[in-house]
Amino acid sequence: MKYSAMLLLAAMGSLTVQAQAETEPVQERPDKQAPLPSFPKVADQTYLTPRPLSAIPEGAFGDKVRLGYQLFVNTQQLRDKYVGNELNCTNCHMDAGRKANASPLWGAYFAYPAYRKKDNKVSSFEERIQGCFNYSMNGKAPASGSPELVALSAYAYWLGMGGLMDEANISGSVPEISDAELVKGAKRDDFPLPEALAKAMTVEQRANLPGRAYPEIPKPEQAYSPERGKAVYVAHCQTCHGVDGQGQAIAGVYALPPLWGAQSYNWGAGMHRVNTAAFFIYENMPFGKSMQLTNQQAWDVAAYINSHERPQDPRSKGDVKQAQEKYHNDSDYYGVEVDGKVLGTEAYPIFPKKS
Amino acid sequence: MKIKTLVIGLTLCSGYAAAAEPSDKQSMNVIPQAAQLCVSCHGAAGEGIEPLGPRLAGLSKEYISTQLQHFQAGVRQNATMMPMAMTLQGDGIEQVSSYFSAKPANDVKPVLRGEQVVFNDDTARLAYQGDWSRGLLACVTCHGPSALGGGLFPRLAGQQASYIKTQLLAWQSGTRKGDVDGMMGSVANKLTVAEIDALANYFANLK
Repeated sequence: MKYSAMLLLAAMGSLTVQAQAETEPVQERPDKQAPLPSFPKVADQTYLTPRPLSAIPEGAFGDKVRLGYQLFVNTQQLRDKYVGNELNCTNCHMDAGRKANASPLWGAYFAYPAYRKKDNKVSSFEERIQGCFNYSMNGKAPASGSPELVALSAYAYWLGMGGLMDEANISGSVPEISDAELVKGAKRDDFPLPEALAKAMTVEQRANLPGRAYPEIPKPEQAYSPERGKAVYVAHCQTCHGVDGQGQAIAGVYALPPLWGAQSYNWGAGMHRVNTAAFFIYENMPFGKSMQLTNQQAWDVAAYINSHERPQDPRSKGDVKQAQEKYHNDSDYYGVEVDGKVLGTEAYPIFPKKS
Repeated sequence: MKIKTLVIGLTLCSGYAAAAEPSDKQSMNVIPQAAQLCVSCHGAAGEGIEPLGPRLAGLSKEYISTQLQHFQAGVRQNATMMPMAMTLQGDGIEQVSSYFSAKPANDVKPVLRGEQVVFNDDTARLAYQGDWSRGLLACVTCHGPSALGGGLFPRLAGQQASYIKTQLLAWQSGTRKGDVDGMMGSVANKLTVAEIDALANYFANLK
């Protein structure tokens, strides 16, 4: 009986997994950075290919798209305004948000607005980006409808729409839509689409484009260990990210980003979770993929990186234990004692000024 | 006379500070014993003498010392530099790398990623945006804006084109190694000969 049920599950394959992931709320907490479900990578999968940046049209709409790109690769131009650390969007979203399996912008754009059960709330695309500013960038999010959120939304929309149009053999430039439409995201029935495209795929299919998010990897064979992770870090990561995890600046730019400490993502960011970091690292690191870390190495080094102090969780009301119970204990080290210190108790400031 | 005594006195008193402070004019102009052999090919100020030796001024101390160790260990093969590096014993590597890394770099204005969105020049695009369809990363990610270099990543801006080219070819052929996880070798192997030529000229001529 048990076996047959298992066989059936296996036979139903990824569809079943997908359905389960939808119903089992990984995103239970009131957490702006709650991940949408990740799926394992599928062999020989082809991915949406965004159009080259040279295809961005002239004019006001194209200007928004270009600004979005510029903010994405040089987010530091918003330092002290909306950004409170040394990171840039493109540090985690490779190839300026275009690369599949590196949480591409085009994948996210069609996955929002997303409904989250426990919040009983629908997050728009701009609200998701606001989460990035508040947590990943340890800053203060631009207001809804601000030029920055419109620009980032326009860039994400343009990447995704151009790619989908090309897949469906629809020629011509990407339709221009209003700012109000742009910031909502595309996972909705009333999203303006060329008719042929609306017929080609369902809203749900577009929300689960192959290559969205970071692909899920299997649980580690042994429980992940920061101690083993340190050895992985020394061997494969520290040339770029530094012995102390503080990255490396050239001409004031941290193209090689700090991974912990005052200048990195805070305790509310998605990347602080060991699973999210392991998924990211396994697929995207070391940068350029001249070698592949093992599954175990990816988990271990993610644990090592994320068991260091970093800026405070903005949702914390001052009590680490309370914040831990409410928002953590989920594949992460917030509130956990490491080397005699409870992480979170000596967290760095939220949105500090650079100078 | 008096001023000179004062300067010497100060230098002696703050021995550590003087050693760590490369802008100190006097210490910069004295070529240390270990570096005297280097200057015939690399120039007294590490400015490079094409085609004898590449520019060293502008490279970090960490990079120069690591490369000298690589020559000594044979992971970086070069008929001239391997025996030269072997002459550096004791604190020789320390002296040489301190001396040349303190020399002023050529003045290049850093251009940040994103300043330009669309590139008509394929080479500049490769340098700033890479070509991810081939797994090629933007050069400036590791080498920094305008490839100014830092840490273990050498400055390419203003380096001799002929030298950049021979190095990319050496990465391809495997006569140059020592990069962690074969990172640079992996990048070089994805470049065509034409791209290598173009990139070498591009970086050499950055102003």
